Amino acid sequence: MEAQNQTIPKLLRKSARKFRDKVALREKDLGIWQNITWDEYYKNVKHFGLGMLALGLKKGDKISILSENNPEWLYADIGSQAVGGIVVGIYPTNVAPQVEYILDHSQSRFVVAGDQEQTDKVLEVKERLPGIKKVIIIDMKGLRRYRDPFLISFEEVLKLGEEGDKKVPKLFERLVDETETEDTALMVYTSGTTGKPKGAMISHRNAIASGVNLVRATPLKADDVIVSYLPLCHIAERSFSVIYPLVVGGITVNFAESIDTIQENIREIAPTIFFAVPRIWEKMHSGHIMRMRDATWLKRIADGWCLKIGMRIYHKKERKQNISVYWKAVHTMAHLCHFYPLQKHFGLNRARILYTGGAPTPPEVTRFFHSIGLKIRDLYGSTECTGICSVHQGEDIKVETVGKLAPGVELRIADDGELIFKSDGVFQGYYRNPEATAEAVKDSWYHSGDVGELTEEGHLKITDRKKDIIITSGGKNISPQEIENEFKASPYIRDAVVIGDGKKYLTALILIEYDNVGKWAEDNRIPYTTFKDLSQKPEVSELVSQITKEVNSNFAQVETIKKFTVLDKELDQDDDELTATQKVRRKIIVQKYRTVIEKMYQ
Amino acid sequence: MQMLSTTKEEKDGYPEKGIMAAPQLSIANLHLNFGGIQALKDVSLEVFDGEIFSIIGPNGAGKTSILNCLSGFYKPQKGKMIFADTDLAPLKPHQRSALGIGRTFQNIELFRNMTVLDNILLGRHLYLKSGVLSGGIYLGKTLKEEAQHRLRVEETIDFLEIEGIRKKLVSEIPYGLQKRVELGRALAAEPKILLLDEPATGMNLEETEDIVRFILDVNEEFGTTIILIEHDLMVIMDISKRIACIDFGIKIAEGTPEEVKSNPRVIEAYLGEES
Repeated sequence: MEAQNQTIPKLLRKSARKFRDKVALREKDLGIWQNITWDEYYKNVKHFGLGMLALGLKKGDKISILSENNPEWLYADIGSQAVGGIVVGIYPTNVAPQVEYILDHSQSRFVVAGDQEQTDKVLEVKERLPGIKKVIIIDMKGLRRYRDPFLISFEEVLKLGEEGDKKVPKLFERLVDETETEDTALMVYTSGTTGKPKGAMISHRNAIASGVNLVRATPLKADDVIVSYLPLCHIAERSFSVIYPLVVGGITVNFAESIDTIQENIREIAPTIFFAVPRIWEKMHSGHIMRMRDATWLKRIADGWCLKIGMRIYHKKERKQNISVYWKAVHTMAHLCHFYPLQKHFGLNRARILYTGGAPTPPEVTRFFHSIGLKIRDLYGSTECTGICSVHQGEDIKVETVGKLAPGVELRIADDGELIFKSDGVFQGYYRNPEATAEAVKDSWYHSGDVGELTEEGHLKITDRKKDIIITSGGKNISPQEIENEFKASPYIRDAVVIGDGKKYLTALILIEYDNVGKWAEDNRIPYTTFKDLSQKPEVSELVSQITKEVNSNFAQVETIKKFTVLDKELDQDDDELTATQKVRRKIIVQKYRTVIEKMYQ
Repeated sequence: MQMLSTTKEEKDGYPEKGIMAAPQLSIANLHLNFGGIQALKDVSLEVFDGEIFSIIGPNGAGKTSILNCLSGFYKPQKGKMIFADTDLAPLKPHQRSALGIGRTFQNIELFRNMTVLDNILLGRHLYLKSGVLSGGIYLGKTLKEEAQHRLRVEETIDFLEIEGIRKKLVSEIPYGLQKRVELGRALAAEPKILLLDEPATGMNLEETEDIVRFILDVNEEFGTTIILIEHDLMVIMDISKRIACIDFGIKIAEGTPEEVKSNPRVIEAYLGEES
């Protein structure tokens, strides 16, 4: 960044002054997309910030936001930061005890709650958290009868701020000037596949540096359009919805009408920048496969042809070979007849830069999107690096890797293969947890816990989490992730957990994709009632066995799955089996299904 | 929401209001018979502004008949029905709905081959002012009027959280959502009192919880009085302020949930006579 001492609120002010009447945010409300200009964005942030000041917010106070994505989330976020607050995001899907843990650990003094459902979670645990002063509610529906002075509506806070602004007109500007780049701006509780969540403290400098690094690697522009739909408390969505639009300046961020309409709203907006977690790409991919199975034979054949053409062109491009005029023509035809409509169906026909990240993406899924002309770039990073370490840049996309290091990021590989990073994005440490901080950051190098290597061309290749590497009783090191990803590429498999640490051979726990297997069962006239019933059908076991055979054929003998068990229950975040980002908590699952696992080794 | 702000003041006075005030709806000595069958016999009820009032009773006890008398589908032979100081007897069903009586049906009565949006828009019918001619050419005032009604419909959709099915045909959506759409159509007419005939029938637990939440929200947000018929006693006991129990067309009990629950005649009607 050219200017020194930059902060997120300062960046917003800069954008507001520059873009004024340009649309900054858009939210679908009452069936119509409502525009919010940069001026209004800044005004709302200002009023919220001053309103919080009126409520007694002091520098360094924590404000937790517990809400679905909406513009108010952003007002609360930047508004609080501008007056010296530190913002903590909480997953709206978290249950009350999880919410309590974060509110308690972060010592939050204020909570911004999205609606009645979220407010109830706070009220449930309020007795045990005397530190909380007020709950600010965005949508008051169903809450008007609660006459607790503990609760206040978002609108009232804005009004308080407006009055405050009239009384002391220049106060907010002064407070924004006083924000320091080294101040902690936000805290992200990493869901972590092991143990309790840890609060990663991220400074303005961290946030802005990671934005600058990403923009240098993959140039976002002022007229880009983004849809905010993943949880904002996660560093990735926070970056794409709040930080990057401010670093670039002028990007329009759109908010879906409700969770049920996200797919439709993405189609309406057709974003030019799109970030998704692998689960979403997998769902789109398996959705396409299932749709084609139901289609007429003519469509199926056409789909097969077009995908073959797409794949051929993709492979040629990957190997940097020349494409003949004939193939170019054929490819254009395929694009017009099939790929473009398909892109449009996904709502990605205008997408200029597409990212996948948050977890490893099965290469087969990535290849599918490449062959229909959607160039997905792997974005590798972590909360502790404020989002970005490496990304596929330019035309240089190798799907098995996570791309080259982003500018501004340095890498060292430890003797045991652990990846260690240094950049301005490396966080300030875990809140109230110096031991974990000392373990993660040594001499400002962040120890990622991921194992990987650099390829000859300089691409970073992630093998697995250091903790997850399986060492069989034969002494062979195996990365379960690669095998699991092969499973996940099948539309019938939602998740797989490979087991075998200290054992003679590998086994797997398999979770079927209920919708798709259910459809398969209907097509094959296999009657079933519930998930439990379906998962335990011998026919389903046979289906999984087929898939296992296909997966095994891609691996060496020691890496093949000898036995598997199909789980009779969907993994659930409420049961602690999944993180809020839908990642499998391996330790807990291995614990829970101990007897099932033992059976596979008898 | 514009509507919210207007009802808010009413709302604020709510908890204190009620029992002491004059009833919003009073039914006195209602008699209804079909030929020789006595459907309702000397039923009297009083419902106060802003309360949730439930009617329970075994199958065929005459619960729905009361609602049908109120909305004008049946003409009672004897008795008086006064709503908001107006005698309902001479009024036709559409006039009663203009007076502020809305209802949903036991078996869903939606237009299956129309969209959710159009079905709810139909709830605005009684507010339509433009004639056939101006409606046909769709200009000026009509256009403005349409936008106003659409806004109200969209507020209803937002309120019931059915944005995702706005453009779907009613026949394409699951049963539980159809029930919600029917509630939406009734709400779009901005009723003062809402007659709900078994809104949770045939629903699974989750759907039931949803619909109960919406009934409570309607009552709280808009201050709408609610008369509820329901078989699910858990739901009734949970949300009603007062309950009346009907058996063979006769009111056998009335009172708070606790009072009705412990009333020996109610227990007898539900569990049968002790042998």
